[in-house]
Amino acid sequence: MSTYVYAITPVDHPLRLDGLHGVGEPAGELRVLKTRELGAVVSDAPEDLRAKRRDLIAHQSVLSRLLDEGATLPMRFGLVGPDDDRVLAALEERRAEYGERLKEIAGCVEYHLKVSRDESDMLREIVSESDEVRRLNEITRERPDAQEERLRLGELLSHEVRQRQDDVANGIVARLAPTGLGHRVGAATSSHFLNVSFLVKRADATSFAQAVDEEAEQQGPGYVLSLHGPLPPYSFV
Amino acid sequence: MTVVPQANTAATSQGGGSGTLYDVLELILDRGLVIDAFVRVSLVGIEILKVDVRVVVASVDTYLRFAEACNRLDLESGRKAPTQLTDIVGEATESGAKGKSKGALTGAVEAVGESLTRGRKGDSQEEPAERGSERTSKRTSSRRTTSREE
Repeated sequence: MSTYVYAITPVDHPLRLDGLHGVGEPAGELRVLKTRELGAVVSDAPEDLRAKRRDLIAHQSVLSRLLDEGATLPMRFGLVGPDDDRVLAALEERRAEYGERLKEIAGCVEYHLKVSRDESDMLREIVSESDEVRRLNEITRERPDAQEERLRLGELLSHEVRQRQDDVANGIVARLAPTGLGHRVGAATSSHFLNVSFLVKRADATSFAQAVDEEAEQQGPGYVLSLHGPLPPYSFV
Repeated sequence: MTVVPQANTAATSQGGGSGTLYDVLELILDRGLVIDAFVRVSLVGIEILKVDVRVVVASVDTYLRFAEACNRLDLESGRKAPTQLTDIVGEATESGAKGKSKGALTGAVEAVGESLTRGRKGDSQEEPAERGSERTSKRTSSRRTTSREE
């Protein structure tokens, strides 16, 4: 039976798992494997595991609980070892490295921030600030056949949008970074031009949240900042 | 205070999951530690994440889309016009969502365990969102778009 791995912790982590269950249907029973220095929370891996909602929730719930009670290295969803012995062997083999990382993230949580901006709001801003965009906008509104101008307008807008998004994203990251211990910027998506995770000491969580709040205030209309956390430090392991 | 991180989430209910699962999906699926030589389950059905990558900006399609969006803009309304009042979509009873005024504009401040959009991702969405495990706050300084992430 292969073994699904949720997290690695120090051996002295409370590893309280009551009330939680593992991935799979029926839900797998959680177990703890221990070496001299490390613990791993595992369950039997279901045969046909896919990233179903309940499984993602199970994974995340186990990690949230562990995070509340001590240092936890969160595994990526869906990680399966051949059996318990091989999991223990892997812990033993890299115990120095895991131990080091556990020390680094002890007392820390991840906050994930997504930022989007209403497109019309941004386009209005660009129109109001660029004579050339205004000119091309008028031409293309009046003359649907002005294909060349339309492309030129689109190119200009596209460039401006990207430029503004990047400037704002860089500014936000630069201003928030000092409150955290580290950050990791993810790929922008069509819905959020900034996706960034911060590693924050629990003790600093409130001031970090305040900084995000101030940032939202500063960015003003049209922007949406959404903050998620505290999360296991997925992005910092 | 808008964002209310809780140092202690021990109250997380059993199987508590998260109302914001979708928002952190990429972290759960694409980050986190892996052990060399161990396998990862096939994530069939997860391609949806890849759909949402930033559109290629330098493409004719993108140019045309932007140009058309710009043509359609109602410039008369002005970008600073507070055309809509804030629409607080959070459940006020939950997490003490609050509205907050910001100058001429209205700001919605919410602490929401925003429910996932059911059906969004096929079978990874087969169960209703359970609220609770994370403290999430959405902050928007102008109007809310309730369907922003749908």
